[in-house]
Amino acid sequence: MAADREGGRRRVPVRAVAYAVCGAVLLAGCASMPDSGDLRGVESTPRQDTQVRVFAMPPAENAPPAEIVQGFLEALTSDDPHFETAREYLTDKARRSWRPELSTTVLADGPGTDPGRVGDREDADAYSLTLTGTKVATVDAQQSYAPAEGEYRAPVHLTRDGKTGQWRIDTVPQGVVMGKSDFQRNYMSVNKYYFAAHHAPGAGDGASGQPMAVADPVYVRKRVDPLTQAVRSLLSGPTRLLGPAVRTSFPPGTALAKGASSLTPDDRNRLTVELNGRAARTGPDTCDEMAAQLLFTLRTLTPAVDEVDLRSGETRLCSLTEDRAAAVAARGSAQHPDYLYFVDGEERVVRLPAGGSATRADPVPGALGSGEAKLRSVAVSRDEHDAAGVGLDGASLYVAPLVSGAALGERVLASRGPTEAERLSTPSWDAQGDLWVVDRDPAHPRLLMLEDGAGRPVTVRTPGLEGRVQDVRVAADGVRIALVVRAEDGQRSLLIGRIEREAKSGERPAVTVRGLRSATPGLEEVTAMSWSGDSRLVVVGRERGGVQQIGYVQVDGSTPEPQAPAALTGVQEIAASEDERLPLVAHSEDGIVRLPSGTQWQKVTDGTAPVYPG
Amino acid sequence: MSGDSAASAPGRSGARAGRPVGRKRRYLAGGLLHGGVQGSPVLRLFMRWVRRPLLPVIRLWRRNLQLKVVVTTLLMSLGVVLLLGFVVIGQVRNGLLDAKVKASQSQATGGFAAAKQRADEAATAAGDAGTPVDDRPSQNVIQWMSDLVYSLSSGGQGAFDVVTLPAGGDSGGGRGPRASGDVAPSASIPESLRERVDSSTAAAQSYTRIVYNSSEASQPALVIGKRVNDPNGDPYQLYYLFPLTQEEKSLSLVKGTLATAGLFVVVLFGAIAWLVVRQVVTPVRMAAGVAERLSAGRLQERMKVTGEDDIARLGEAFNKMAQNLQLKISQLEDLSRMQRRFVSDVSHELRTPLTTVRMAADVIHEAREDFDPVTARSAELLADQLDRFESLLADLLEISRFDAGAAALEAEPIDLREVVRRVVTGAEPLAERKGTRIRVTGDQQPVVAEADARRVERILRNLVVNAVEHGEGKDVVVKLAAAGGAVAVAVRDYGVGLKPGEAARVFSRFWRADPARARTTGGTGLGLSIALEDARLHGGWLQAWGEPGGGSQFRLTLPRTADEPLRGSPIPLEPADSRGRRTAEGTAPPSGGARAATVPAQQSAGPGQARPARDPIPPRPAAAPPAADPTALPGNGARVVPRPVSPARRQDGPSAAEPPAAHGDGHPAGGPEEDPNSQGEACRGR
Repeated sequence: MAADREGGRRRVPVRAVAYAVCGAVLLAGCASMPDSGDLRGVESTPRQDTQVRVFAMPPAENAPPAEIVQGFLEALTSDDPHFETAREYLTDKARRSWRPELSTTVLADGPGTDPGRVGDREDADAYSLTLTGTKVATVDAQQSYAPAEGEYRAPVHLTRDGKTGQWRIDTVPQGVVMGKSDFQRNYMSVNKYYFAAHHAPGAGDGASGQPMAVADPVYVRKRVDPLTQAVRSLLSGPTRLLGPAVRTSFPPGTALAKGASSLTPDDRNRLTVELNGRAARTGPDTCDEMAAQLLFTLRTLTPAVDEVDLRSGETRLCSLTEDRAAAVAARGSAQHPDYLYFVDGEERVVRLPAGGSATRADPVPGALGSGEAKLRSVAVSRDEHDAAGVGLDGASLYVAPLVSGAALGERVLASRGPTEAERLSTPSWDAQGDLWVVDRDPAHPRLLMLEDGAGRPVTVRTPGLEGRVQDVRVAADGVRIALVVRAEDGQRSLLIGRIEREAKSGERPAVTVRGLRSATPGLEEVTAMSWSGDSRLVVVGRERGGVQQIGYVQVDGSTPEPQAPAALTGVQEIAASEDERLPLVAHSEDGIVRLPSGTQWQKVTDGTAPVYPG
Repeated sequence: MSGDSAASAPGRSGARAGRPVGRKRRYLAGGLLHGGVQGSPVLRLFMRWVRRPLLPVIRLWRRNLQLKVVVTTLLMSLGVVLLLGFVVIGQVRNGLLDAKVKASQSQATGGFAAAKQRADEAATAAGDAGTPVDDRPSQNVIQWMSDLVYSLSSGGQGAFDVVTLPAGGDSGGGRGPRASGDVAPSASIPESLRERVDSSTAAAQSYTRIVYNSSEASQPALVIGKRVNDPNGDPYQLYYLFPLTQEEKSLSLVKGTLATAGLFVVVLFGAIAWLVVRQVVTPVRMAAGVAERLSAGRLQERMKVTGEDDIARLGEAFNKMAQNLQLKISQLEDLSRMQRRFVSDVSHELRTPLTTVRMAADVIHEAREDFDPVTARSAELLADQLDRFESLLADLLEISRFDAGAAALEAEPIDLREVVRRVVTGAEPLAERKGTRIRVTGDQQPVVAEADARRVERILRNLVVNAVEHGEGKDVVVKLAAAGGAVAVAVRDYGVGLKPGEAARVFSRFWRADPARARTTGGTGLGLSIALEDARLHGGWLQAWGEPGGGSQFRLTLPRTADEPLRGSPIPLEPADSRGRRTAEGTAPPSGGARAATVPAQQSAGPGQARPARDPIPPRPAAAPPAADPTALPGNGARVVPRPVSPARRQDGPSAAEPPAAHGDGHPAGGPEEDPNSQGEACRGR
């Protein structure tokens, strides 16, 4: 008995110690940070942009005239939806006549005030001053951006209200005035989409009979319901610059239904757009086109719209998802070139797979790849069936199909320019398969178009163009054309115009380029350019007193995206694709180099004249 | 009475529960003692209404030591945990804030310097551009300031937001506020800070709550502001807002941890207290139970003792005490049994020689005419005293039989009228001698009860003979009545009556009203005692009432069937022709003179006395018909404890007549005189 108890007593502490050790180990596991464990994905939270907002303040009591003007200008930069606060600075009469939506004037440094030099400064109840500044651009009533230059002067007149004794502005320039950075903060560029006019259904000479979507960039206010603004702008029709060359599928007079609130996509990324009665009787095909226009437009604004649902009154017209939109209408940026083409050291055309990182180029099948003709530059049609090459001396243009064994035909065009630099430029194919080329012969400067790359060249009229065309690139949509023009003073600038074709039955088509406008007012010498998106080009140029640089410009001349590709020196030619995922390719001092997104320039191989199809 | 018990209900305690609450005076004293709820009745009602649902809880609280200790521990540990929590949370909060404030201040200071530098640069650039200073257009400022806010705020996305406000309130220079990160500027910057920043050039800080223009929830923040000049030299206010989101999260983590830990601690303390107290309370409860059983008479109960701790010592001491008590009590019981046996034996043993003496005395008495007168007189005396001796012995035997519990009831239905007739006939000769007439009333109808005829006759004979003896030649009235479950016989005389306090004592053994008075009949001093025992054997009452000079009345009440408890008596104890009634006519309780008493219901726990003693009927002065008066029924539910004092006291209560002085005569406690044993001794001593 006693022995038992003794044994028990000895066992108890042992067991207690064991328990305590186990507990301590467990606790220690909980009390330290884990150094191993389960694997999990990390959900990325989008980094929100630091938005600076200006809050408009109503005019203070008994504020002096200078402060009133200051407050008014400040209120213009706020995101007040209808400039209600700015209107409080105006007299009743001015308030009725002032229409801020008419125009937006962008000044380099914002509007300054120049005290009025008129004699009525002594007048106790009136005050004049002038808004001054350097114009950068204007945005018109159609919200279309246009570069501008020159001095801005606008008179402002204030009066003292007889009853309340408060100063108010009674003469004010129409529209809105603000500085460049304010403009960039408050506005954003939106592409609205229309269809190329010469591609009317039934014409049937397009790649697949689809209408071709043409981008029409406009500026909307970023924080005042941009979605609804963009839709309204789309419904109101194309801007003046593009107008005659495009058509819209919306019946005339179509607008958003009355009382429609702001448009917001639902949680399934579907946007329901209610139209007024004008759109009620559209057929399903037209309706699909309308929806495609809307969808393309909204996709440039926000990726959060996958489907558009059109309604008119109680009827549901049609609904279009993004996948089906590609079948309804074609878009330049939706086409994916297979190869990158260039001319190698043996003056023949070789190609590389477009997306990959391969550096070994193969000669193209057909005559141009065989080295039969020594070539200087090349252009490949957008379907990649045909290629056009300019001979080494620049005097002759060859067109050959990219099929093995195809023979090199006769040259289709010859230039009689005195020097190599004054003969044919790099040709360019448009979406219809027409070939464009510039003959730089000083005696006969011509912009030529060869229908289907053959036949007699058509001289394209360019009314209103001053200077000689040096280079041409036609956009994928076949409506816009980019020309590099050398003025008399030697300045090379980039002009964007629209192509108008007047097809008369039996006759040769008359082709005109109209609406030419400078897209790079800042650049003095444009060396090379290429389309790089529906409404964007990549341009190599030099600013006045600056060095050569590469940058993007919108077709309207604005530069909404400040980020430029990494710098590269000695760029002679540049090639970009409308599909923005493909790398930029340039011919520089190092040969052919390319810029895959997110990295630096990489050397590909030796060669010249890199082009993507187009 | 009913009001009485209700009024004392709130203050009723265990000790008071069994004590009679009869007197108004006592009730008042009790009310004062118990907190004096003498306010308005409404207030009292309200208090009662509030208290009623709490009563079980309060009772549990009062009675349960374990509950008290556990609840107290819980409350105290809760207090400690709360205090600790406040201190810890306060320290953590201060620490977090200190770190945040320091970091924020350095960041904001850098920001202010950067803003100043940018303003200087812009001013210099404008100056270099050749614009005259006085005429410098303010063109840069709108855009410049937006750019400033953008560049300052892009340095710390999410970590802070930047806000500029015009100097001098909302009317400052026509300039609007600017804010990054969707902050609503005027709602987020406290007005006091704006005034402070306006009035001095030094930086100032404050705590605020950031309000957002978007749907984001507002959050606490530290805001640091300073007045800075723009390129034109005009002042504006620049604020840095540092959201305290992380700090709040840390704090709520600490709070959650503390709350969880605190909850565990409190619950754990409660459980520990419960366990510890249980170790103490369980033996104490056991001791209490054992003590209760001991006091209930089960003297063999003992506590279980384990171990050697304090509780064990208590148990041992308790057991020793119980053992001693058991020993003493059994000794006393043995002694008492021995005495009773001795009396019984003596009576028996005396009988045999007494028979011989009796025979011899009879011979002498027969031959007394042959003796000389003195001897003859002695022979007569001898015969008389022998008669008396014999009856005394018989009474003693009878009493000892009662004491031994050997008396058996042979109950059968009898008509009490016949018994009364027999008794009256038997007492006729004595009455004639005394010149007393015995009247019988209430004998028109049969008065039938289940009773032992011999014993009832003995009782009645005793009462009637007593009445005739003390009746001083006046009439004796025997009254019969039956009502409810009871029958009663009352014997009324108009003799000397009873002095105050005597009504309670007439039933004592060997008691006599006037020791000087001679016994004309063979009274042994045990007659009424035996009668009382007889009545009690039937489950009935025998009660006496009397007033000095007004005569007395003895009342026998028997249940109609044996074993049925009595609830009342058909005849009131105080007769209708008493002096008190005649003067007051029943409107007010008689102020004096009425002397009623019953007998102590139960003197000892004899084997034959298993039936609980009943309260005597509280006699009410109201006119009582022969039928049972409902008001005469004992209304108070107070159970009689076998304490000798109480029945007599309570008996006084309802009659409300006896002043303490009248009751007293040197016996304030009133105890011993009621005890049969000691009574016997005392009377014998008198």
